[in-house]
Amino acid sequence: MNTAARARPARLIALYAVAGVGLAVWAFPVVWGLLTSFKTERDVLASPPVWLFTPTLANYREVIFGASSIVPNLASSLIVATLATALTLVFAIPAAYAMARLRFPAKRGTGFYVLATQMLPPVGLIIPYYLVLQKIGGLDTYAGLVVIYLTFSLPFAIWLLVSYFEDVPMEMEEAALLDRAGRVRALWHVILPQVKGGIAVTTIFVFLNAWNEFMFAVVLGGNRVRPVTVAMFNFISVEQTQWARLAAGAMLAMAPVILLGMFAQRHIVKGLTVGAVKGGGRRA
Amino acid sequence: MTSGADAGGSASVRIEGVVKQHGTTTVLHGVDLAIAPGEFFVLLGPSGSGKTTTLRILAGLESVSAGRVWMDGADVTTKEPGARDVAMVFQSYALYPHMTVAQNIGFPLKMVGTSRDETARAVEGAAQKVGIGHLLQRTPGQLSGGQQQRVALARAIVRQPRLFLLDEPLSNLDAKLRLETRLELRRLQRSLGVTTVYVTHDQEEAMTLADRMAVFMDGRIVQVGTPREIFTRPLSLDVASFIGTPPMNLLAGEWDGHAVSIGGSTVAIGAETKSARDVVVGIRPHALRLAEGGLRARVEGVEDLGDSAIVDLVVDERLVKLKTERAPLLREGEPVFVAFAPEDAHLFDSATGARID
Repeated sequence: MNTAARARPARLIALYAVAGVGLAVWAFPVVWGLLTSFKTERDVLASPPVWLFTPTLANYREVIFGASSIVPNLASSLIVATLATALTLVFAIPAAYAMARLRFPAKRGTGFYVLATQMLPPVGLIIPYYLVLQKIGGLDTYAGLVVIYLTFSLPFAIWLLVSYFEDVPMEMEEAALLDRAGRVRALWHVILPQVKGGIAVTTIFVFLNAWNEFMFAVVLGGNRVRPVTVAMFNFISVEQTQWARLAAGAMLAMAPVILLGMFAQRHIVKGLTVGAVKGGGRRA
Repeated sequence: MTSGADAGGSASVRIEGVVKQHGTTTVLHGVDLAIAPGEFFVLLGPSGSGKTTTLRILAGLESVSAGRVWMDGADVTTKEPGARDVAMVFQSYALYPHMTVAQNIGFPLKMVGTSRDETARAVEGAAQKVGIGHLLQRTPGQLSGGQQQRVALARAIVRQPRLFLLDEPLSNLDAKLRLETRLELRRLQRSLGVTTVYVTHDQEEAMTLADRMAVFMDGRIVQVGTPREIFTRPLSLDVASFIGTPPMNLLAGEWDGHAVSIGGSTVAIGAETKSARDVVVGIRPHALRLAEGGLRARVEGVEDLGDSAIVDLVVDERLVKLKTERAPLLREGEPVFVAFAPEDAHLFDSATGARID
């Protein structure tokens, strides 16, 4: 008892120390970026680095209102990411539901195939995708980029959602059918509310992937479609890198993601633990 | 069957030659059944005997491989579950966890576009009938097992279905609650007068609830009748050993037409037959008594249950149970004699298992 009482604060301190180190490593680049975004270019390049400086909003003014405004690019990213997410959900929800419920030949094979698409290195697909989009006139269009994002996000989303649908007891659905709901309303009123967590997790993952994507956007997009990740790349040129503006742009680009993360945190944590105990606690 | 006047809205059910196959295994081998309007009908059998499959076929949740299902003379074999006007209580209750109790009960009405006021009234009424009127704003997760079970019942009765299906609804309750709920269920069914099909593997539940019952074994119905008929006149060895607690004692014997000899002792039996043959003699534990003469037995032990006692005996190298009102003073290993009245003996052909009268 005594030993345990003495051991507890020591244990806590150790835990906090480990967590603190982890947090510092993770947070340093973000904090440094935030500081940089308020510096002048001269302060950025000062050596040794300065911690105390007169903050300026000039970088934000420039990336929001200036000649190199990234606001149109933020809009572009928003359009691409929202469309990709919405379309992914529209197709993935019914597909995952069907895969969870129906017995069809080669079901197991289908599951593997869905995952296998995730194992291909994306860079290997850029050239074929480029050629295909070029042939059908899809280069530098929202439709083109969104469809390419779907090829990655859809399999992943289906695979993620299937386990959530499988956690909803079959009897729940049968009860809804007997209650005269029919298939569609049973899905809408009874099943979807129970996989809400999974849909939230999927939404966030798909949105983040699309929002943060750079490689496909830079190759398959370009002028009309120019997401913020591509636009920020422009602050880096052969002659110079505009670090302060780049940092300000990065902070703006991160904001929606962080907001989304905060908004959905509860669902993510809950969602990631759902698969752990199969059906645990759900059979009310 | 009982409340003819109330049974206006309740259905008669008939199934004919229903076969169900899952791949290469046959779950039901041609089941025939007729259930009268307002009847409380129990499907009884061990697990895997096909009773739940039969219930699910009535609900429309399971298709048939062959045969037909009729409700009120109309063929519903291929009708969707929602088109059958059937309500079901699942073993797991299958409550909707994201809805309140009131929303759960009101769901079947909402699905057919019943007005909000009318739904609220009906929900209130159904909840009162099963004694959960005070729980309407809770969610299923906040309820005990017994309360959840009542919500499931209320959801089933709220829409006044023509047929009420229950799949082992009491099996998740503790023993005391099960007894109470059993009585209430019976009363509820009587007051509603709706045809009810009830699945259970608990023969005591079947005996106390059923107007009539069907005993399932290996995907077949082996006997249909009132609980009393099935208890007093089991048509086969399987049924005889399945119904009754403790189960019927079964002893191998040889019958010469007038008397049976069991392990060297001869006992007179009322029935007559033309030829001698090997039989199995079945005697209910309460029909056996300790006597001055009869079958030779050895005491294995006495289980005193307070208001009754079970004496474990070995007769002809078989364990036999004898039920009496008072625990007799017997020592383990003590030799005794047991006897029974000739009319209490059930005779079964030992080759086919069929009853001999």
